[in-house]
Amino acid sequence: MVKDLDKAIAQLRACRPIPEAQVRELCHKARELLIEEGNVVTVTAPVTICGDIHGQFHDLMELFRVGGDVPDTNYLFMGDFVDRGFYSLESFLLLLCLKVRYPDRMTLIRGNHESRQITTVYGFYDECLRKYGSANVWRYCCEVFDYLALGAIVLGASSNLQPASETSTGTQSKNNVTSTREYNEADIEIEVLNAEGDILHRFPRKKGQANNVIQRSPNKSSSPVKTGPPGSGASGSSGGSVGNSSGAVLCVHGGLSPLIDTVDKIRLLDRKQEVPHEGAMCDLLWSDPDEIEGWGLSPRGAGFLFGADIVTTFNHNNDLSMIARAHQLVMEGFKEMFDNSIVTVWSAPNYCYRCGNVAAILELGEDGGVENLRSNGDAGRSNGASSVLAFRDKERVPGPARRYRVFQAAPQDSRGMPAKKPVADYFL
Amino acid sequence: MSAPHIPNLLSMSRGGGGLRGRRGRGGPRLPPAAEGHSDASSRFHDKAIQGTDSDAAVSRYSAVSLGYLDDQFAQYFVNGQATRRLPIINRGTYTRTTALDTLVDAFISCPKSSPQTPTRQIISLGAGTDTRYFRLRAQNKHHNILYHEFDFPTVIASKFRIIDSNKSVLLGDETLFEKAPSPADHGAETIPEWGLERNIDGQKESRYICHPLDLRDLTKTASLGSFDGLRCGIPTLIISECCLCYLNVNVAHDVIKWFADHIPDLGIALYEPIGTEDSFGQMMVSNLAARGVVMPTVREYKTLGDQRERLSQLGFGDGQEAKDVERVWQEWVSAEEKERVDGLEGLDEVEEWVMLAKHYGLVWGWRGVGFECWKGLSG
Repeated sequence: MVKDLDKAIAQLRACRPIPEAQVRELCHKARELLIEEGNVVTVTAPVTICGDIHGQFHDLMELFRVGGDVPDTNYLFMGDFVDRGFYSLESFLLLLCLKVRYPDRMTLIRGNHESRQITTVYGFYDECLRKYGSANVWRYCCEVFDYLALGAIVLGASSNLQPASETSTGTQSKNNVTSTREYNEADIEIEVLNAEGDILHRFPRKKGQANNVIQRSPNKSSSPVKTGPPGSGASGSSGGSVGNSSGAVLCVHGGLSPLIDTVDKIRLLDRKQEVPHEGAMCDLLWSDPDEIEGWGLSPRGAGFLFGADIVTTFNHNNDLSMIARAHQLVMEGFKEMFDNSIVTVWSAPNYCYRCGNVAAILELGEDGGVENLRSNGDAGRSNGASSVLAFRDKERVPGPARRYRVFQAAPQDSRGMPAKKPVADYFL
Repeated sequence: MSAPHIPNLLSMSRGGGGLRGRRGRGGPRLPPAAEGHSDASSRFHDKAIQGTDSDAAVSRYSAVSLGYLDDQFAQYFVNGQATRRLPIINRGTYTRTTALDTLVDAFISCPKSSPQTPTRQIISLGAGTDTRYFRLRAQNKHHNILYHEFDFPTVIASKFRIIDSNKSVLLGDETLFEKAPSPADHGAETIPEWGLERNIDGQKESRYICHPLDLRDLTKTASLGSFDGLRCGIPTLIISECCLCYLNVNVAHDVIKWFADHIPDLGIALYEPIGTEDSFGQMMVSNLAARGVVMPTVREYKTLGDQRERLSQLGFGDGQEAKDVERVWQEWVSAEEKERVDGLEGLDEVEEWVMLAKHYGLVWGWRGVGFECWKGLSG
């Protein structure tokens, strides 16, 4: 079985669909696995959180190149695997294969496109029909969609960053020579790296708050960049924030729902169905944060808009330091909002082959501070004092340190995989 | 490939039968004909430009089939299998059409005139498979209009064939005529002007005339009289819906100038991409270049302000206005219509829509009393 799976993975990695019978078997196995998962999956850091993929297979390969391969890196994909791009089938089946092969290292949660109705309009249905001549494979996949979890909680994320390990390309970035000590002294909360691992921006934690935990004199950073990237809420000297409690991160595709005030209420939903047109399950997959107060009507016609006050209250009541979500195109790949209480992660570069945006993934490091963010790095260089202390004083636990890796669309015809020249629609 | 049993996004009862299949065919992989010097690259460029018209026709029919637009004629101008466009494209097609309809309707409806005399002239450049004349006729708004279309001879000829083979629907109470080529145009290859004429007081009058012309040759033409029915004495609206943007900047300038030199009471409505400086715009330029579609004027007039200035320079001194398509949707589509359109498919691409729509501009300018009615339209 493992051998078959590895074969299927290899075939899908080459962007070649697997036979219908094999898809049926895979989907069956995936359902058996997913049915055991709760509506909200618990994930332990380290983990790399990813946003929308939308069938951009070659860019998914680029994501793995930048973020590290499975199973070396743990991944959490926040839905919208399919539709829009030309390789929804290969992208989703590969992720599903990896889920079945490495269940503890892959977490997949449902996006609003993992739905029968949406996929008939936005491309996945047509693609299955085109590639298999019948809608069977689409049906198998939709049955899996119904079993995908609605959210995930990441626990045990470190409040400080460890040096990024080398990218899988094996090139040691020349800028990336900061030692563990320097990281700790600077108390970096947010770091933005490019695809090759070079540091683009760094934001130290706000002074006088998180730093108090470890009684560190402020501002000994090696070279923190003071101006924020567009799209990061962390601009200028106000960069960085303090998490308000246990450091848990809720991951969900869209956002919050007026019908849901606790994470436990998500756990009580009956999720094994098509995404409904309204109600809590629909909202979790469709809603968006917005600069409003309270709740607002969504221009998407499903879900709601919610303001900073909603997020603050929800995070406080649920001991969350942050919400990570996807769902909205962000030109810079990620965007933190509302005093860093919520972040949008977008992982489809040059979305629809047209938007010209970059993509991002979010790495949360392992608590304890003795491990690198990624298991393939050299562990044991930091003293880990900060996070140990942090855990003792619950009121002062800072939010997780975030490392964003920003990447561009994969080059056309890269790595010998078939790539049809995509034609984006314009009004001509 | 048809799947009529599949519900649409909002489970509306409207059947989408037969409207799916073909998507995003690979374009020819040729270097962009950016400068277009050699004959071969220039022909490739022309072909690519003409291809944009089929693209627009397919988009129009998709929007019509899904109920965005009311256009019973759109289906006759689509070649081959119909394609269902994504909601974002359908909304764009709807908004673009609404934008120009708003300007055209305002232009032709003032002042109220005796229906039998042409008091307004419309010149549609690069009209291609556009159905605006037929829609105006179906809405009974055509009585005071003299309507001209200019396009490549092959396009004009193919439109004739479409009308000729769908007479029962496309003729209405009009008759099709072809003008005999003038003796100067020797050679069997010459495509004649053609049009539709109607019976007014026992006289046949042609009110819709198609002129086969590569617009790059327009300025070699001495007078309006070279074109059947073209008049200089009545208020005239030039429409360029993604046409002049494909010409070199100076050629586009000269084309407008040529009309401006001949027709005193003149307005113009341009619809073309804008904002090629940001990353979305740069991707648009490079994607289109890969298809052989190059838009020199878009590089020259980067903003709506540049476009207004362009019209001012060309002598449209009584007013120059502009807005992007996103603002057209916001400001020119009524709340009622927005609700209706939102209800057709749903739109899960809100950010993308705003970005896309901000990269198309509607620009209009005028001089003369014939355009008093445009003064009320907000820019």
